[in-house]
Amino acid sequence: MKVPISWLREFVELPAESNAIAQRLAMLGFPVEEIVRRPVIEGVVVGRLAEVDRHPNADRLFVCVVDVGDDAPLTIATAATNVAAGQIVPVARIGARLPNLRIERRTMRGIVSEGMLCSPDELALDPQWFDADGIMQLDESLPIGGDAVALLGLRDDVLDVEITSNRVDAMSVIGLARELAASYGVPLRLPSFVNAAKKPAEPAPRVGIASADCSYFVVQRFDHVHVGRSCARVRVRLALCGVRPLSSIVDVSNYVMLETGEPLHFYDAGSVQGGLVARDALPDEVLTTLDGVTRALDPKVLVIADESRALGVAGVMGGSSSEVGERTTSILLEAAAFAGARIRRSAQFVGLRTEASSRHERSVPPALADAACARAAQMLVELGAVAYAPVCAGSVHSAPRLSLTQHDVERTLGQVLAPGRIASHLRALGCEVDDRSEVLQVLPPAWRADLTIPADLVEEIARMEGYDAIEAVVPAVTAHDVSSREYERERQAARVMAALGYHETITYSLRARGGEGSVALRNPLSEEQRYLRSAIEPALLDDLARIGRPFRLFEIGHVFASEGGIVVEVPLLSMAVAGEQTNEPAWSDAQFIRLKGDLQAFLRELTGNAGSVRPVQRAGLHPGKTAGLSIGDVDVALFGRVEPRAERDRGASFPLYAGSVRLDRLGDTLRPRYRPPSRFPSTYRDLALAVGVEVSAESVEAATAHAIGDICTAVRVFDEYRGPQIEQGHKSIAVRAVMQRFDGTITDEEADAAVARAAATLHERLGATVRV
Amino acid sequence: MTDVASSLEALAKRLAAAVEAANDEQALEAARVRYLGRNGEVTAIRRSIGRLAPADRPGAGKTINDAVAAMERVLDERRAGLAARDVEAALAHRIDVTFPAQPPALGTIHPIRRVIDDACAYFERHGFAVVLGPEVEPDYYNFDALNIPPGHPAREGFDSFWIDDTLLLRPHTSPMQIRTMQMHKPPIAIVAPGRCYRRDAVDARHLFQFHQIEGLLVDRGIHFGHLKGMLTGLCRTLFGAYQEVRFRPSYFPFTEPSAEVDTTCPKCTGHASACSMCGGSGWIELGGAGMVHPNVLREVGYDADAVCGWAFGFGAERLALVRYDVDDIRRFVDSDPDFLEQLGTIS
Repeated sequence: MKVPISWLREFVELPAESNAIAQRLAMLGFPVEEIVRRPVIEGVVVGRLAEVDRHPNADRLFVCVVDVGDDAPLTIATAATNVAAGQIVPVARIGARLPNLRIERRTMRGIVSEGMLCSPDELALDPQWFDADGIMQLDESLPIGGDAVALLGLRDDVLDVEITSNRVDAMSVIGLARELAASYGVPLRLPSFVNAAKKPAEPAPRVGIASADCSYFVVQRFDHVHVGRSCARVRVRLALCGVRPLSSIVDVSNYVMLETGEPLHFYDAGSVQGGLVARDALPDEVLTTLDGVTRALDPKVLVIADESRALGVAGVMGGSSSEVGERTTSILLEAAAFAGARIRRSAQFVGLRTEASSRHERSVPPALADAACARAAQMLVELGAVAYAPVCAGSVHSAPRLSLTQHDVERTLGQVLAPGRIASHLRALGCEVDDRSEVLQVLPPAWRADLTIPADLVEEIARMEGYDAIEAVVPAVTAHDVSSREYERERQAARVMAALGYHETITYSLRARGGEGSVALRNPLSEEQRYLRSAIEPALLDDLARIGRPFRLFEIGHVFASEGGIVVEVPLLSMAVAGEQTNEPAWSDAQFIRLKGDLQAFLRELTGNAGSVRPVQRAGLHPGKTAGLSIGDVDVALFGRVEPRAERDRGASFPLYAGSVRLDRLGDTLRPRYRPPSRFPSTYRDLALAVGVEVSAESVEAATAHAIGDICTAVRVFDEYRGPQIEQGHKSIAVRAVMQRFDGTITDEEADAAVARAAATLHERLGATVRV
Repeated sequence: MTDVASSLEALAKRLAAAVEAANDEQALEAARVRYLGRNGEVTAIRRSIGRLAPADRPGAGKTINDAVAAMERVLDERRAGLAARDVEAALAHRIDVTFPAQPPALGTIHPIRRVIDDACAYFERHGFAVVLGPEVEPDYYNFDALNIPPGHPAREGFDSFWIDDTLLLRPHTSPMQIRTMQMHKPPIAIVAPGRCYRRDAVDARHLFQFHQIEGLLVDRGIHFGHLKGMLTGLCRTLFGAYQEVRFRPSYFPFTEPSAEVDTTCPKCTGHASACSMCGGSGWIELGGAGMVHPNVLREVGYDADAVCGWAFGFGAERLALVRYDVDDIRRFVDSDPDFLEQLGTIS
């Protein structure tokens, strides 16, 4: 919300520095998004054009005799065309400073001009909103010779203040002035909010409430209304707040809204049949709003209607059928309190967001309606209107009285404050405080509907003390029973992957494509992000294709699937590798084996068990280069070479591999137990075997270990070869068995016998023959 | 001079010559074996003692022993000399220590995880547990239980991705407050890092997915001063020992009183009017915090008169942007090797 500091100063004494005020507001909970700086303008006074004549030597110039309150009037030449005798205008005297301009005495076609008449632009006002065609027009309310900058409030900066949604009362100049007054400990000077009009209108306007979402509805009638132009001071204030000045009557409603926070609406009384009622829109009801758009309504929408039709969307925008125009002579003023949620739904339905709706959405307190009505009446009467007594429907319900003790404050803030100090903070904000007993009885002010529990009052006290004043203390945390297990596992997983040479990344969880069982968003930002990812690898592989060189990526995150209408969410670790181009035979893939080694190292690190591998098939992965890893009978990981077509589709120039680990399926880490080594030396034997190509290394190792028995401490296939020397359909592999006893040295004879057993078993079970 | 003595003398001379000629340990050992070894020349002389008269044998034995001792001294001296020479030679080696190394191909932890882990480690040192939770959450956990009933204006502030009428991608990590309190009795001391989602168009400052670090402490006797104490420590852990922290009043439905938390700009420390990090204000906004609203405590069945608590929620990307001076939030989701390698470590 834009707030001119000059307007705040009308209600409260403030420091000169805009920064200081902005800082204070921030520390009260109203951060200033921007300080809109006003340029320095000096030496501009209010003048009256006593005479206006054409310049004797120039067709396009006028020569004005200008009364600026001095004994002698000034002679000023101007090129503006909108000048006429009798006008009140801003006059920059010799020596005046305007933005980018200093006024000097100059001769214009033989006439010495003693200053300059100012256009809105020269006063740093939006010319579109003022007198675009020339000199800015002021009015009789300003004293001739007075400092126009001070009188119009053009000097002070404007603050763009952010107001939290609970503080609709502070979406107003008075609301913020009240906060500043309380904080600085200075008085708040408010205008009178007593409605002077006592005489009832004949007939009195009827007002009704036919919806639970309107709690209070005031209507006041004004006659003898003259629709003209507002005084310059009002127009400037509205403009500085970012509200376009329109007509004297409409400006009053906006002015009062900005000042008090209560949105008002004026109806042309002649266009209203019967009275005003707040009700649900009818199905198929249609309304043309003030912006000229004809809108189909719906019972979701709350409207203000007369006896025959909807006149406006309640709390959002009025209708053009009852718009106040130049011919309007009587008006009905509406001030009401609506349920914020209803106004939000209404506004969403009609697709409008206005100054009024932004306030009503936050449930403007009913008490503001009477005050704003009174303020508007005062201004309209000053403009010559005749006011009649307001009539109302509904009620202003009074806020509950709250009990508060010194202990409540201390318990929450950790700070001991004297009851007198607590009471004075609350009073400064408008609370009534009865402090005759230890338990303070607090009645929040009518405009503070947000103060409903003692904790709310504690925050007010903290704000007035200043959050800075609360001492920082490090708490001693009591033992509790919440475990960090899942997190510790993720943290460890990431570190192991990094140690293995993988780079962690983060990709989007929302993807353009989904498959069967994918979870879709109802309101995606774009089709590129409609689905919750069911796998992480595709994004990693896309990234690798873009990186375009060998690289290793991993990501830890959730994947999603819909199973029987239930969203199932699983924590995964996925990795993708862009490998080196190699010239390996079809039966070998060293980079696949490296990936397997990485995964097994990972599993061993996280669970104490490297898991066992078996070939599997998975869409998107190469049918002959994909494997699953399981621990016990739980499948925990799957990895493989990316299927050649998928590789080509990604435009990858390097072989791609991908894998995933189900982090949720990794059980507890086995605690390792130390086994002292044997005191006796170990020995080993290597076997070169010819086996069928389908025989797996794992089965050779298992058979070897089994045959050798307890003395076998390690067995490992360490070479594989296929080629012309080997019979078709066969391969040569080499396996090493390590043997060791705890009770003595293994003899050569014993080792040879063990290997012979192994060879026999391998032949018997796997058809292997020993090569010599 | 006996034959033995003269033989030994000649032998000692030849040994001395061989030792002199030996230029390394190996040659020296060969000389030792040849003269003093089990089958060496001295052994041959020893055997000849048997042929002497018995009376001469002791004298000859002593002569041999003395000669052997002398020859061993010669060998030892030469050995020591050779060793000293080798050390000297080794000491004379000079390399270019600036010659580039080929570091092992280590991977990296993402800067977002680094920030989260460092924050969590700080809280763990103070006795907090770290909990993780789902990203798809019912509105009950996201809003209702957090004192944001349907129609509450604050719901609008969380521009969320909805899956159906009640299910959405969590726009904040605060559901973990509710989940944890429902599962455990007080005291509660947790941090909950995790991925969140809001319908923000992607630009240099916004992503539609981001990470939050939530904190919650509930116990008897917990007050706002404790919140200030812990968060001040967090900022100093993440940004440096001299960080100041500022709390400003704010509004969140689930805390009362509520605060926005700022820390001094670590880039300009408040001394640059055109600082790209803080815009010259000298302060960096980190996120929201406050005392847990009594309605939230009651919702999970806690006695709001007995226990008090505080909570906070900071954006991890924000912390990382500031901590690592990153110019554009999109870099966090770019998988750019250069970015990852510059900011990543393995621990």
